[in-house]
Amino acid sequence: MYEFVTGPLAWIAFGIFIIGMIVKVVSVIRLTSQKDKVVFNHWSWGWSFRSIYRWLIPFGSRSMREKPGLTIAVFVFHICLLAVPIFLLGHAIMWDERWGISWWSFSEMTADYMTLLLIAAAIFLLIRRIVLPEVKIVTSAYDYLLLAIATAPFITGYMAYHQWFDYKTILIIHILCGEIMLIAIPFTKLSHMILFFFTRAHIGSEFGQRRGAVTF
Amino acid sequence: MAEPAVDTNVIKQRLAALKGGRFKTWLQLCAHCGYCADSCFFYQAHDKDPKYMPAYKVIQTLGKLYKKNGEVSKEELEEMASIAWGDCTACRRCSMYCPFGIDIAVMIAATRAILCSQGLAPDALMDAVKNYWEFGNQMAVTEEDLSETLEWMAEETEEEMPGLTIPFEKEGADMMYTINAREAKYYPQDIAEAAMIFYAAGENYTFPKMGWDDTNLAMFAGEMKCAAHVVKLCYDNAERLGVNRIGVTE
Repeated sequence: MYEFVTGPLAWIAFGIFIIGMIVKVVSVIRLTSQKDKVVFNHWSWGWSFRSIYRWLIPFGSRSMREKPGLTIAVFVFHICLLAVPIFLLGHAIMWDERWGISWWSFSEMTADYMTLLLIAAAIFLLIRRIVLPEVKIVTSAYDYLLLAIATAPFITGYMAYHQWFDYKTILIIHILCGEIMLIAIPFTKLSHMILFFFTRAHIGSEFGQRRGAVTF
Repeated sequence: MAEPAVDTNVIKQRLAALKGGRFKTWLQLCAHCGYCADSCFFYQAHDKDPKYMPAYKVIQTLGKLYKKNGEVSKEELEEMASIAWGDCTACRRCSMYCPFGIDIAVMIAATRAILCSQGLAPDALMDAVKNYWEFGNQMAVTEEDLSETLEWMAEETEEEMPGLTIPFEKEGADMMYTINAREAKYYPQDIAEAAMIFYAAGENYTFPKMGWDDTNLAMFAGEMKCAAHVVKLCYDNAERLGVNRIGVTE
């Protein structure tokens, strides 16, 4: 089983993730050039990058400043989500053993705390969905599922690292959860991983370039 | 008289036409995070009643239309009309609050256009669209009404500025002056005041007989053919009169 999830299934998961994302991006650009030419008419690289930049730094936009709790949770969640799998020592060793590629990694303790931070942020996001009326009213089962897909690899990873329950079983579950997440990205809202940059660039051009918001 | 039935074919066509790169991505991507809620003054003014949070308003209107593929009843459309026309001004503040930059207000505007195609729009807006087609301006002002109003206003200013005339249909003027139809219909003194400034400044301008209404309420109604008609009237008349510029006051 371990051989299967780390062998063929890993190939399939990474393949679907990478090819799926390429297809996604190409089809969005194609559809836009067919039906939404207006996007290109008002495109501005300057405003695109400005908009992306302001929304990639914490508290870079007004709405982020108005909801500081959520903003902190969202940034903690995303930073840990991206950094931990890549810079985890255990993962780096695997890459090194299989492909001979090695890179810098976090100390085990740092990665451990970051995982806990991510889980805490996820719990915050979950409670928010249940408690706040304005979030609850737009929440569907799908939103809970996505949060579960994104958080499961970290919960199981934490359990595996600390050798809770049967290590071998938990490890396989952990790998499966990671692969489910990779496969889910191109087909779900998780595709905002890439599409975020497109939609932000568009709205940046829209409010900057098109509305003539130049003040300098 | 029975209400006209819902033409689901038209709704389906419009939904399909809208689904380009933007709408498709926006509809897919919304993470239901709630950042947009506080941007909306309807939401704020109703003691944070979640019914007024922007994303929810889209889910209940355009979202529902897509979910049901246009197969909706008159009652459902009326509920949507109440949200799209009554609970949103399409100010786009929510679009600026969305982390993904989803243009929420544009989706409401698109919903309005669909509703308009089913006769569900404020009466004044529907009348305006009719008037644009028939008279070239939103308030059914005829060519004669306009030229008489201009003459009348020139007379009114006689004491203050002797010799002032308001040029009408003057070919080869430098600028074609356009106004809100409201000025010709209800507030002609606005025309007189502008004329006095132009006179004092020695401006070479003219009113055209058509295409002088620079409002475009058809655009608000999502009646794009009519909206294009309004703009075209303005440009065609500017070309006919051979002016260099069009003065837009709205």
